[in-house]
Amino acid sequence: MLEAPFDPVKLAVPFFILAILLEIGLGRLRLAKAEYEARDTLASLAMGLLRGVPALLTAGLVFAATVWAWEQRVFTVPFTAWWGWVAIFFLEDLTYYAFHRLSHERRLWWAAHVNHHSSQHYNLSTALRQTWTGSLVGTWILWLPLAFLGFSPAQIFIQQGISLVYQFWIHTEAVGRMPAWFEAVFNTPSHHRVHHARNPRYLDRNYAGILIIWDKLFGTFQAELDAEKPRYGLIRNLGSFNILTVAFHEWIAIARDLASARSLREVGSYLFGPPGWSPDGSRDTSESLRARWAARQAAASTPAE
Amino acid sequence: MPEFRARRTAAISVTAILTGLIPSGIAVLVLVGLAALARLARPTPPLDAAAARTLLGDDFPEAQIDRIWLADDGSSALARSGARALYLFRLGDAWVARDLAWTDAAAAPVRGGRLHLRLPGVSPRLARPVLAGWPPEPA
Repeated sequence: MLEAPFDPVKLAVPFFILAILLEIGLGRLRLAKAEYEARDTLASLAMGLLRGVPALLTAGLVFAATVWAWEQRVFTVPFTAWWGWVAIFFLEDLTYYAFHRLSHERRLWWAAHVNHHSSQHYNLSTALRQTWTGSLVGTWILWLPLAFLGFSPAQIFIQQGISLVYQFWIHTEAVGRMPAWFEAVFNTPSHHRVHHARNPRYLDRNYAGILIIWDKLFGTFQAELDAEKPRYGLIRNLGSFNILTVAFHEWIAIARDLASARSLREVGSYLFGPPGWSPDGSRDTSESLRARWAARQAAASTPAE
Repeated sequence: MPEFRARRTAAISVTAILTGLIPSGIAVLVLVGLAALARLARPTPPLDAAAARTLLGDDFPEAQIDRIWLADDGSSALARSGARALYLFRLGDAWVARDLAWTDAAAAPVRGGRLHLRLPGVSPRLARPVLAGWPPEPA
């Protein structure tokens, strides 16, 4: 099947709106933690609202490439087979983990993803602060092996949508912790608060989409600690609510860096190195921030002589 | 004919997108309005020196702050940390920090009582705080 019979994200839009209304209402009544700043909320929702427009530029290419990959498929997974849905649930979620990790650890892809982390708030509107440039940097290629395996373009599209819809509800401070068994297996508000935090301990952790098991398996899991409240946003937060700044600030920064590059190696490292890479090491990367934080922790715990 | 069909399909897609965008846009404005009415923003009282030090400590945990100049309205602060200047300013209900060379901050012009500080990064490029006790006396 080429075209999906339904779009989970479109179907979920009324739920998104009702859930945000509920979060605002609970916050207003002080029944749950919910912090909203109007301009921040407008920026987040506008990013979500307009995300489909730039994606139109590549929609045809992505669809054609997925169909081509499916035509070369090794197996054929019937759209109606239950086992096919079980298989794609796990495989798509693993693909999402890889995509998300790449989007944090390499600057070209970080430039497309950073806008999602640019709010200093963590509420349901933050979930909709979606990328405008994601499809332009080709992360969709990561999903092509699913089509090669034999999952139809429609099935891949639907499972991607299910994952996106699942990830909406975890962008909240209104939910503390879920039951232990659920926290052990699934991505939850608690796990994802860690992912959105800029505390050195929490940087580049919990890349999961639906299942947190991938982070545990690949060593990127960090539990939320009661003693360390997440501080949300970026290492250097944006100083603007302008959605063009939100969408393109890292691209502008990359362009400036490339203009100042003195060798091909520098060009390559500015594009494909970790965010924060610089030729003289004067800027911070997640790794350097974490290392210095660990050193400070060690120094603080060492008794003075 | 195929060209015509393609153009027609494109036109239909654009119409479909606009049809989807308009109600969604209205929903966005309603949600933002409700968020504003609900007054759920964090309290951000005017900065004092202790608060500025704490907030700068979040962004620059290793910085030893020598001196702080506070804006008259408490919405920003400039600190000296050795050879670096650390600038903190309010954005909505949150705080944003930047660092630059102290020599650049010290040499920044003051016009009409406002320091015109060029900031690194993409946005904002310029800050114009009115700092109490600025400029610092030459050492």
